[in-house]
Amino acid sequence: MPQTRLSGLREFETFVEPKVEKKVALSVRDLSKWYGNEQILDNVSFSVAEGESLVLLGPSGSGKSTTLRLIAGLDTPDGGDVFLGGRHIEHLRARERNIGVIFQNYALFPRMTIADNIAFGLRIRGKGKKQRLDVVEKLLAMIGLSDQRNKYPAQLSGGQQQRVAIARALAYEPDLLLFDESFSALDPQTRTGLRREIRSLLRKLKVPALFITHDQEEAMELGDHIAILNKGRLEQIGTPQEVYNNPQTEFVATFLGAANVVELCRNDRFVALDCRQCLTQLPRELALDRVKIVFRPEDVLLSPALGLAEPHDHLGIGEVQDIAFTGATEIVKVKLQRLNPPSHPAALDCQPTPDQACDLIIKALRTKWEAQRVPLNPGESVSVWLRDHRVL
Amino acid sequence: MNTATQSRTLPGQHADVVRPLGISFIVLAMMPLVILPLASIFIFGLSKGPVHFWDALMTPAALFSLKLSLMTSSVATACNVVFGLLAAYIMSKYRFKGGSALMIIISLPTAIPTAVAGFALLLVWGRSGLLGRFLEHTDYQIMFTTAAIILANIFVTFPLAFGVIKPALDNLDRSYEDASETMGATRWQTFRYVVLPSLRGAIVTGALLTFARSIGEFGSTIMVSGNLAMKTQTAPLYIFTKFNEGDIEGANALAAVLAIISFAIFSLILFTRSKLEQ
Repeated sequence: MPQTRLSGLREFETFVEPKVEKKVALSVRDLSKWYGNEQILDNVSFSVAEGESLVLLGPSGSGKSTTLRLIAGLDTPDGGDVFLGGRHIEHLRARERNIGVIFQNYALFPRMTIADNIAFGLRIRGKGKKQRLDVVEKLLAMIGLSDQRNKYPAQLSGGQQQRVAIARALAYEPDLLLFDESFSALDPQTRTGLRREIRSLLRKLKVPALFITHDQEEAMELGDHIAILNKGRLEQIGTPQEVYNNPQTEFVATFLGAANVVELCRNDRFVALDCRQCLTQLPRELALDRVKIVFRPEDVLLSPALGLAEPHDHLGIGEVQDIAFTGATEIVKVKLQRLNPPSHPAALDCQPTPDQACDLIIKALRTKWEAQRVPLNPGESVSVWLRDHRVL
Repeated sequence: MNTATQSRTLPGQHADVVRPLGISFIVLAMMPLVILPLASIFIFGLSKGPVHFWDALMTPAALFSLKLSLMTSSVATACNVVFGLLAAYIMSKYRFKGGSALMIIISLPTAIPTAVAGFALLLVWGRSGLLGRFLEHTDYQIMFTTAAIILANIFVTFPLAFGVIKPALDNLDRSYEDASETMGATRWQTFRYVVLPSLRGAIVTGALLTFARSIGEFGSTIMVSGNLAMKTQTAPLYIFTKFNEGDIEGANALAAVLAIISFAIFSLILFTRSKLEQ
């Protein structure tokens, strides 16, 4: 029997993967798509290595669902190529691509039992009854629904339907799994549990997978790599740590987790918060450069305004506006009053502005321990330090 | 004091007279309009005893007309369900120029008076009709044959099955077909295994509606069939003819049978709606 993934399931528990260069499973090159005059996808390129998972993350309208449909062959691109296992599949119909798709609403066939749903791909491929039963049996056991085999999809919970949809896609051993916002319809608890299950399942089976989602938490948890799409363009691709710690664009920084963005203008001797103000104050002939510094709330350190200097970059002085207690952490909103921009290599030639007035709100995330060490109250004056930041 | 035993009158809910009055009104209004006429078919049909009723029904002409009606209605139903299914699939899947005009034309036949429909068919298939003239010197004739009755039935019930299947198809989530396709199914396999089973309820309902409408068809049939006893006389034509001849019992017996068939079909439609269309 040509069973590699399913029959080898048990052995994988103890299987230690040797470190070798991973082969590319899916490769997308310069994919473009127009709907009328609107460009939905603009030269998007990425690849997924064998046995790895990539999450396409983006807000609605970013083109991520279109990308999935193009890869699945449910839509034709206006430009670009799709390679699966080194094979050019652009000319193949959806049914010839051997890709498993888990749809947002699971799309389980309502008039077929769970077992028939799972067996459908094999039935279409002309596999015998014996083989079909074997595979269905194994998959049902894997998703823990062996006793539900004769039920109809409508009789199952959302989480169970999701599992059936995955089993149904795995049954015919696809070369790639595509998940189209597959978790958005589930309640938060089922969602988190199922995500972990799927993650470990994919690790065991070594099927390359592409997830589509707008949920950054889901992206972090499911993806070996995350690709962030915005308005049809790929903004950044990397490991979850890379894209979170080193966002290349403001969009990536703000979409993936919370981020403070402070816009500065700079030339060789002047930095200001408000560009318009800066423009009016500067002689026109001076070259002006816009800079954004981005930092996460958890990278902000707050200390009493007249306290000792911290070994971090000093952003300025502000006033505590609001403190929101969320249990393990608290979120402090600080209104910046005086700016003292961090000395970043890229900003070395900048001189700090003397007491530039501004009214920018910064969010700081503090742990329970920090909050106890430096208690703050609204209206209090604080010094704002940055443990880490990026200049865009 | 035990409050549970008190007659409980909620605030603002004194004696509600609208309820009993409203219900009585509906029943009273329906009495002469619907209920009495239906009941009288059975009351009069059986007034001289079941034996009389049976004898009136078992005449060769009555049985023939009933069989002819069942046969022609079945054929017309089969044709219109197959057509309705294909047309609904095309119209629901593709958007094209003139699509809405085509929709109107498909739906038109039910709006046309049946006598007009019969007359129109004569103009096409009659001896000097648009298409009928080509048949004139052959052995094949359409008008005043069983084929004419079937054609009339098809025309009059044309959009019924389509009208039920099309909305069902429109409501069918596209992702089922997408899923089937990504799993390797051809378009036909997707239609056969995924789309068709989901339309089960709509197809059965559409067929029953078509059949019910066909079996009672009178206006167009009398124009194109020639109303020849034992040849082209359907059950409604038989009832009409017997009544004209003064054979009230003969007319009544078959009328009762037709009514029962209609009741049966109607119950089946209700049953299908609740059972198959979940």
